[in-house]
Amino acid sequence: MSPRLLPALPSLALLAWLALAAAGCARPDAEAAAAGGRVLHLFNWNNYIAPQTVERFEASCGCRLAQDYYADNEEMLAKLAAGAAGYDLIVPTGNAMDTLIRQGALQPLDKTLLPHLANIDPAYLDTPFDPGNRYSVPYAYTVTLLGYNREKMRELGLPTDTWALIFEPRHLERIKGRVTVLDSQRELLAAALKYLGYSANDADAAHWREAAELIVRAKPYWAAFNSASYIKELAVGNLWVAHGYSNDMFQAALDARRTGRGFAIDYSIPREGAVLALDSMVLPRSGGQTGLAHRFIDFMLEGENAAELTNLIGSGNPNVEAKRHIRPEIASNEAIFPDAGARAGLETLRDFDRSQRRLLSRMWTEVKLR
Amino acid sequence: MTRDTPRSTRAARLLTGGPPLLFLLVFFVIPSLIMVLTSFRFPGEFGGLAPVTAPADQAAGEYGFTTEAYAFFFSDTLYARVFLKSFGVALATTLACLLMAYPLALLIARSEKRFRNLMVLLVILPFASNFLIRVYAWAIILGPQSALSRVANTLLALLGMEPATLLFSPFAVLVGMVYVHLPFMILPLYTNLEKHDPALLDAAQDLGARGWQRFWRVTWPLSLPGVFSGSALVFIPVLGMFAVPDILGGTRDILIGNLIKDQFLGTRDWPFGSVLSIMLTLAVLSVASLTAWFARAAGRTP
Repeated sequence: MSPRLLPALPSLALLAWLALAAAGCARPDAEAAAAGGRVLHLFNWNNYIAPQTVERFEASCGCRLAQDYYADNEEMLAKLAAGAAGYDLIVPTGNAMDTLIRQGALQPLDKTLLPHLANIDPAYLDTPFDPGNRYSVPYAYTVTLLGYNREKMRELGLPTDTWALIFEPRHLERIKGRVTVLDSQRELLAAALKYLGYSANDADAAHWREAAELIVRAKPYWAAFNSASYIKELAVGNLWVAHGYSNDMFQAALDARRTGRGFAIDYSIPREGAVLALDSMVLPRSGGQTGLAHRFIDFMLEGENAAELTNLIGSGNPNVEAKRHIRPEIASNEAIFPDAGARAGLETLRDFDRSQRRLLSRMWTEVKLR
Repeated sequence: MTRDTPRSTRAARLLTGGPPLLFLLVFFVIPSLIMVLTSFRFPGEFGGLAPVTAPADQAAGEYGFTTEAYAFFFSDTLYARVFLKSFGVALATTLACLLMAYPLALLIARSEKRFRNLMVLLVILPFASNFLIRVYAWAIILGPQSALSRVANTLLALLGMEPATLLFSPFAVLVGMVYVHLPFMILPLYTNLEKHDPALLDAAQDLGARGWQRFWRVTWPLSLPGVFSGSALVFIPVLGMFAVPDILGGTRDILIGNLIKDQFLGTRDWPFGSVLSIMLTLAVLSVASLTAWFARAAGRTP
């Protein structure tokens, strides 16, 4: 090779790599198409369907389930807004689904193809986001609650069924630096509003100020705003209390038990009420496999299939028939399956309008800076 | 023959200068203009932007162009304080990097030629593993159960002081920032120091300069261009960094990068995010031109 070509080598290598990568991406679909199979494209949360469920569905429909993943609703909306097309099914949370419905991005469901829809607990149907469930079928839910180190809480004699644990200095001074709260404006504001006795969706400026003061007063005792690593930190014992999602607390409890740390992670819904995030299956207009997508929804509505996800990640399950298939220690966990009284205190978050979002962001910045 | 030469030179110039110029045009100038345009629009109800003209079925409302995002930025000192704080962190990171990188770069430049490439390779080696993994590793190193924390707290206890938490603190953010950006300081310093003519130091020694004088009067002034380019390569990226404070920071460690990220991902307020980005770009440009000016001034003085 002539030495003059040498400087061009890296870029040539890059081009070759890009070409290979592109070919690699295209392959699975091409293979499935060559085999005469159909492909159902599911745009789902990370780790949000059990592998054995996928296998059984693929066997039953003679098709392939191709999944792409997102880690939060904003990411999913941003990808769709940027033109990602070809997904047959998405599993957004209520407020993101609301956005998709109002954008006209979803197609209505054909309920005659969903005989198992009756398995869903009516309490999770007919939500404000989708009255009459024209577009959506509930899939699973999480509750935003408090996870804690059971032994430490007993030792210190702290109450674990109230938001006071993360907001009241008289409790916090005993666990200073061992508490994290979610790095999420909406979730933390909702917790503060709930503790103050207001709705999680309250947009009254005076109530917001009250909540901000509560947060600023408690902040010096918190170790961090943390949405990423509290599972691990709880499980190894660095944190004693964390504000977070029920799925994550389930994972932390599992990790602590498996590694035999000598303490248990527990979690409970504060009695003042909390946020419930309901994820639903919806069909974007850009998807091609409408029939197959309905088939998948109905498959996931069968009790056994719906139960597998709960057994895997401890997600809340709106499916009545699933309960029989759920492991008893999960089915009896009141943080995952709250009784009627606790359920009355749970609220789903609605989107604020743009000017409220801007004001909330400023308040959040101010809270963080102080 | 004589006429061909200028034409081929022009062609060569176009060939060598054209692609980078095109690259900058497509990936810097045009996006910046889009950002400026965005900053004068209204945010969309679902994120994104409100249309410029009102849709047929809607009454005239928040459509078209506006300066409200700028007004919001200047309405109080809150955002200026976030900028100030970010500049403080960037400055501290740059100084810490300089203090650590200079001796190392000097060591590499002064070692035998056959070891130099290996040592430079070792400096670059951390890039082989993902940036986020390296930052998460620091979360473990600084965590309360780590050996480092235990040693530090034993020492503090011996001195009769309260135990300190290293993770989730401004200190952790600084450590993360310095760790991530250190190679960007070492490399330009090394390329500069490597070019110094050893004869200059010999001459200084012959003229009676002692070790410290040789460094301060000869090596340091000659290395200033390297110092400035290294500083710019550290200072500017630190200003935009959001992952390090997110992972290692505590309850007060909000930097401008976090604020901008949040406008696009959390608040879905593109116009205000654009205003913040523009302000950051302006601030960075003024720092860069200041650095260039200093470097020129330093280059003039012997």
